[in-house]
Amino acid sequence: MGNWVVNHWFSVLFLVVWLGLNVFLFVDAFLKYEKADKYYYTRKILGSTLACARASALCLNFNSTLILLPVCRNLLSFLRGTCSFCSRTLRKQLDHNLTFHKLVAYMICLHTAIHIIAHLFNFDCYSRSRQATDGSLASILSSLSHDEKKGGSWLNPIQSRNTTVEYVTFTSIAGLTGVIMTIALILMVTSATEFIRRSYFEVFWYTHHLFIFYILGLGIHGIGGIVRGQTEESMNESHPRKCAESFEMWDDRDSHCRRPKFEGHPPESWKWILAPVILYICERILRFYRSQQKVVITKMNKRGFSMEVGQYIFVNCPSISLLEWHPFTLTSAPEEDFFSIHIRAAGDWTENLIRAFEQQYSPIPRIEVDGPFGTASEDVFQYEVAVLVGAGIGVTPFASILKSIWYKFQCADHNLKTKKIYFYWICRETGAFSWFNNLLTSLEQEMEELGKVGFLNYRLFLTGWDSNIVGHAALNFDKATDIVTGLKQKTSFGRPMWDNEFSTIATSHPKSVVGVFLCGPRTLAKSLRKCCHRYSSLDPRKVQFYFNKENF
Amino acid sequence: MGQIEWAMWANEQALASGLILITGGIVATAGRFTQWYFGAYSIVAGVFVCLLEYPRGKRKKGSTMERWGQKYMTAVVKLFGPFTRNYYVRAVLHLLLSVPAGFLLATILGTACLAIASGIYLLFCFSEWNVSVLESGRITHVQFLFLFMTYMM
Repeated sequence: MGNWVVNHWFSVLFLVVWLGLNVFLFVDAFLKYEKADKYYYTRKILGSTLACARASALCLNFNSTLILLPVCRNLLSFLRGTCSFCSRTLRKQLDHNLTFHKLVAYMICLHTAIHIIAHLFNFDCYSRSRQATDGSLASILSSLSHDEKKGGSWLNPIQSRNTTVEYVTFTSIAGLTGVIMTIALILMVTSATEFIRRSYFEVFWYTHHLFIFYILGLGIHGIGGIVRGQTEESMNESHPRKCAESFEMWDDRDSHCRRPKFEGHPPESWKWILAPVILYICERILRFYRSQQKVVITKMNKRGFSMEVGQYIFVNCPSISLLEWHPFTLTSAPEEDFFSIHIRAAGDWTENLIRAFEQQYSPIPRIEVDGPFGTASEDVFQYEVAVLVGAGIGVTPFASILKSIWYKFQCADHNLKTKKIYFYWICRETGAFSWFNNLLTSLEQEMEELGKVGFLNYRLFLTGWDSNIVGHAALNFDKATDIVTGLKQKTSFGRPMWDNEFSTIATSHPKSVVGVFLCGPRTLAKSLRKCCHRYSSLDPRKVQFYFNKENF
Repeated sequence: MGQIEWAMWANEQALASGLILITGGIVATAGRFTQWYFGAYSIVAGVFVCLLEYPRGKRKKGSTMERWGQKYMTAVVKLFGPFTRNYYVRAVLHLLLSVPAGFLLATILGTACLAIASGIYLLFCFSEWNVSVLESGRITHVQFLFLFMTYMM
């Protein structure tokens, strides 16, 4: 428990502040509309649902401001870069941008539900008071005219007895934009579930652009001024606390009280969303501009491109799909004069790309690149001891790191903080990763030449083994190189026993800060996180394990 | 977008619509709005749609992640026989179910969402037809009838 708090205190604080702000805004707006004299007459018709609707509206404005910010990748990269003096814990929060985006989205859905339900009750109340003929305060207020000549000082948006609530909903700006926004929101949410995202990314990607309708709708939602409060002038003349009781006598010439006049609440949503929208537009323009620069393929070169280890780029191939951008980790090192990615066929787009490149007789398709964007792997060299775990294709960010180490050694970089790296590569079979094998072989040789054999400690685990392979391995046990990979380090079969590994590392480095980096499946993340907590000492001077996970 | 099985997204959308219908129905019934009986209908229709759509159908290609507790629901759903196995029937069923809820403001959102889900199921059916015609080079009786009717109209 203690370790969990130490590792996650910033996330918890951030979430508490965010939730607290939501609660505060809700309660503040609720009390304002529930108690203010300006809305006294409005409350006479609508009751507490007015305050409910307005409070949820304020929370919707607040959360709509926040929703666009976590997806401004370039802004986040910029913050990561400029905050290099910030602590590790603060910078790690930028990795959780997508989680925050989802949380804010859920909050928007919740408040949308509250807002709609409250307004359904409101419309029903308005409708009833328009139909009422009992001469009550509500019916008199409802009969206030929409006539512009008399100042348009109406309260009830339902003008005549025959108007239905459905008619008002679809003919008023607020109602129509509300319906459009809600449908856009629902479509965005249903196409963004984990299952749809992982299996049919294009559906998610294209449908999610409906957010444009959501933002536009939000901007113009309040223009009609359907939420009415009494004007200042009217309140000075006939204050509701004094005049509400004597409503039958408003039209009498000798009465002190006049009919109240109402005005619409001016729209304020646009003020909330203006800044994030501008930031997001800049972000998209920047992405577009960066994608237009020439990329020379077969060893990708791009003007003005500079990267750090473990970063990723977004790749677009207009001949396959104009609008789709897919993320790929860079497998080259910053010291090289080109950058590379390795692509695995995992769906429509990747399969089409590979097919396009394999065409012998047609020219190589044009590629657009945006990035690079930073994730946790950039922090590898900040740790004294680094534990890198790559599962399957997840080994790619570490290819970049290992290559970078190789170059740093070649340049004899003494500023390298990292003293030891433990690298675990887990995959079903190594066939698809022969390129990585070559890298490890060259690193092995390099280490031997420089006499630094102890710097990089790597273990390979084949999870797709069968008795044939094991038998073969057993027979060739005393050979110097491994029969499967040709490397000096022998391959292990099955999955690593993390408890053993972590306790060995903890004993070998009792006073170090160890960074654990994973690119792989969630279940593995869970076990590694648990081990990090278990083997981190409570004493901050002794061994500490920090867990970082890549997520796309 | 050739390999998309629209039916998977339609399933998510229909499940969400079911929940929205139930919520709208409860609000309308509890608040005793005008014509609140449409709200009562909406609750029943919503529950039915949710039960029908909760078991996630098997994908053609790749593995399908089951929803939690799905196997109990599947036993119930199978009792309805051909209504549940066939996606054409589901599309039409959802369209018909959504219509009565459209008369009440509280449930009209449910109508719109369920109609969209029905549309996506139909899209799936058409994409399947195209694939089957391309693959076999032959057109089935149902497809021929449908095309003939469209032409006549």
